[in-house]
Amino acid sequence: MTTYVYGIARLGRTPLPEDLTGIGDPPLPVRLVTHDDLAAVVSDCPERLRPKRRDLLAHQNVVTEVGRRAPVLPMRFGSLSDSDDRVRDVLDEHADRYREALVKLNGRVEYNVKAVHREDAVLHLVLAENAGLRSLAAANQADGGGSYEQRLRFGELVAQGVREREGRDAELVRETLAPLAERERTGPENSGCFLNVSYLIEEAAARRLLDEVRRLEKAHPQLDLTVHGPLPPYSFVE
Amino acid sequence: MEQGGGAGGTSGLYDVLELVLDRGLVIDAFVRVSLVGIEILKIDVRVVVASVDTYLRFAEACNRLDLEAGPHRSAGLPDIVGQMTESGAHGKTKGALSGAAQTVQDAVRQVRGKDTESSRTTASRRKKEEDQ
Repeated sequence: MTTYVYGIARLGRTPLPEDLTGIGDPPLPVRLVTHDDLAAVVSDCPERLRPKRRDLLAHQNVVTEVGRRAPVLPMRFGSLSDSDDRVRDVLDEHADRYREALVKLNGRVEYNVKAVHREDAVLHLVLAENAGLRSLAAANQADGGGSYEQRLRFGELVAQGVREREGRDAELVRETLAPLAERERTGPENSGCFLNVSYLIEEAAARRLLDEVRRLEKAHPQLDLTVHGPLPPYSFVE
Repeated sequence: MEQGGGAGGTSGLYDVLELVLDRGLVIDAFVRVSLVGIEILKIDVRVVVASVDTYLRFAEACNRLDLEAGPHRSAGLPDIVGQMTESGAHGKTKGALSGAAQTVQDAVRQVRGKDTESSRTTASRRKKEEDQ
């Protein structure tokens, strides 16, 4: 029987939430594989597990629920082992490393911040900073928008300006938020935003992060920031 | 600012998917399930930014912008409308100011219309990706 692993935790005497279920359809019951004070949070694994939306959500939910009760090292989605015994062996083999990591993460959560630009505001900024672009824009406006070629060329120059602004604003956000966090990790760069960054932060300090994000948006109207958290510390377990 | 909690709700799932898939502890002794089929989620949207479509969209958006307004005013257009209407109500030049506010409102509506259109495109693209 294949075992699916959600995470490693130090639950002590804290039980798992009652009736906690995980991946699979119908959802499979979640249980613990323990070794001394460490516990792997596992369930059986359905045949032919695929990264479906429902299963990704189930993984996320199990890690989050356990994380509410004790520090947890979240596994990446889709970690499988031959058997519960093999999972126990792994806990035994690396027990010190896991304990150390769990101590470091105690009371910490991950917050993920994504930044995009509000288009009209950033276009205004880009034009305001570049007299050449402004006169091109004015000429195009006077000319009913300009020819296809003119619009293309103009749009490309604007896009270049927008990208430059993205770089500067990414730095601005990072410089503002990094001092509030214990650790910072950027990426993955695949979500359509110009900045995607995660922070490891003390739970008590989260309010300050949110305040600072609000302040940034107010002071820089071109910024549209999305915050996700508190999350299990996915980005800070390696 | 949009804020999503980490617990449960599907609304923020798309935005934390990448963390569940790309981050998290990896243990050599464990096998990882094949992620074939999920790759579509990782399409580099940045590539789309450097496209003819984007250039034309930017050109179009700039064509609609009021070049005389400052960058900060642009983001606060609704506020300006509010101020204009308010001062207009007290002053003698009410008619003229309301006219100006109307024009600004039209401009806002135009820009908003544009926004709605582009966000709809994004939403449908995301939907397609999620359905894969």
